[in-house]
Amino acid sequence: MSLLEVEELRTGYGALPVLQGISFNVEEGQTAVIFGLNGAGKTTTVNCLAGVLPTWSGEVRFDGKRISGKDAPGIVKAGIALSPEGRRVWPGLSVLKNLELGAWVRKDQKAIGETVEQVFGYFPRLEERKDQMAGTLSGGEQQMLAIGRAIMCKPRLLMIDEASLGLSPKLAQTVFQVVSQINDDGTTVIIVEQNVGVLPYADQALIMEKGALTFDGRGEELERSGELRKTYLGEAAAE
Amino acid sequence: MSAVLLTAPQQMQPLALEFVVPVVSGLIQGSVYGLLGLGLVLLYKSGRIFNFAQAEIGTFSALFAAFADQGTGPFPDLPVPVAILIGLLTGVGLGLLVERVVIRPLFSAPKVTVVVATAGVLLLLVALGGFLSGPEPRSAVQIFEGDFLETSSLRVTDTGALVVVVLAVLAVLSALFFSRTRTGTAIIAVSQEPTATRLVGISVERTSALTWGIAGLLGAIAGILLSGTVGVVFPGSLTFIALVPAFTAAVLGGVTALPGAFVGGVVVGMIESFAQTNIPKDVLPGSGKVVLFVALLAVLLLRPAGLLGKET
Repeated sequence: MSLLEVEELRTGYGALPVLQGISFNVEEGQTAVIFGLNGAGKTTTVNCLAGVLPTWSGEVRFDGKRISGKDAPGIVKAGIALSPEGRRVWPGLSVLKNLELGAWVRKDQKAIGETVEQVFGYFPRLEERKDQMAGTLSGGEQQMLAIGRAIMCKPRLLMIDEASLGLSPKLAQTVFQVVSQINDDGTTVIIVEQNVGVLPYADQALIMEKGALTFDGRGEELERSGELRKTYLGEAAAE
Repeated sequence: MSAVLLTAPQQMQPLALEFVVPVVSGLIQGSVYGLLGLGLVLLYKSGRIFNFAQAEIGTFSALFAAFADQGTGPFPDLPVPVAILIGLLTGVGLGLLVERVVIRPLFSAPKVTVVVATAGVLLLLVALGGFLSGPEPRSAVQIFEGDFLETSSLRVTDTGALVVVVLAVLAVLSALFFSRTRTGTAIIAVSQEPTATRLVGISVERTSALTWGIAGLLGAIAGILLSGTVGVVFPGSLTFIALVPAFTAAVLGGVTALPGAFVGGVVVGMIESFAQTNIPKDVLPGSGKVVLFVALLAVLLLRPAGLLGKET
């Protein structure tokens, strides 16, 4: 049984449909990467899985239990966290408060300090800036904080939307390496990306186009297939 | 405002007349403004909303407390503590009702729409209060009837002293609530990034209801105490007497800082009081308000975030 099972998922904004009925599974302990051009439906997919957008039809099961229809707090309690597009940190709260609020749904409040230390282990920069207002951090630091905040609830599935957007190639690689480490520590990961630099870390690759899934296979399959990269990620990526 | 529970008898010395009276008078009067300002700051801090109905929620609470105290309408003649409790519950209930019926449906609307909607709530409450209570002033609930301090030149009632103490305690408790508790931090988080707040599992709807419930309670406390010091309550009374000075207090103190409402309230009360005492009416009619708004303009020009405020 897969950790996440998505069947014929449809959703959209207002009356405008975006997802045309997509189906895919993600196995526990793996890293899945969703690629696609702007407007392909990647962010819509993770927002729907996170309960930010309503499910129009189809079904999502997590660890065998139906979660489609739950609201965002219900999804977090089920064990899924999303680091959203645009980071969306709380600018007027300190780094530490941002992290502590990330653990809102946890019942073991006394153990939160350990998870904060774990996050600081992944991102030492955050520890240096723990009393600084999040709004004063650089883009890369805010991305680290958004990911750190998402893992504060100790999710079984971590979704990261546009992890490398706006980051330098070097910083993006640093973020990918940390995400890989989080995955190695036992958290299943879904990354929404346009940056092919994440491919070496992908166990599973999905490609979306116009609200539909056009490729679902192993990461190395996509990496080897120059044609796929050329078709979906452009000439430059295929070289 | 006759809420100033202090007298300056004929035999008072000039120094006392020029200094002590305005200080004590300003402190009590300003504390009333601060109490109302506290609710305004809470709602601004949590949702960037200036609630025009805040004072009227207080009036409504004071009216219901008076109904219960006097055995009017559906209420039997109840003891004062029970009447006060009914008044406080009215404030909380009104806060929750306004949030559910007016604020929540306008979550995604521009803030200016929400602010105008609260002005609509104010007008509705004034009309409803007139329907329930009639246009004539009604005797307010008196929590205490004794004097806290009485000398040959100065008299401060127990209720007047209570207003100051309650404001100070509530300002400190509110500040601690936001800086030390998870729920307080969550309320700030909702105001800054509602989507991110949902994504960590916090219910924005519940947080909003909690905030308005607390604001309603603060309004009720202000309403019951102010009407107690004035002696009467009537539809629109708190709005008429204290809303504008309370807004001024909130802005002066810093609309994002809860202790700012306390400081702002006291500063507003003192400025008004000193001006009224020291500037003759024939030189500057309404000197209290004139000097107050000059001071407000100066603060806004020199320190737009207010005395204790900071942009969050």
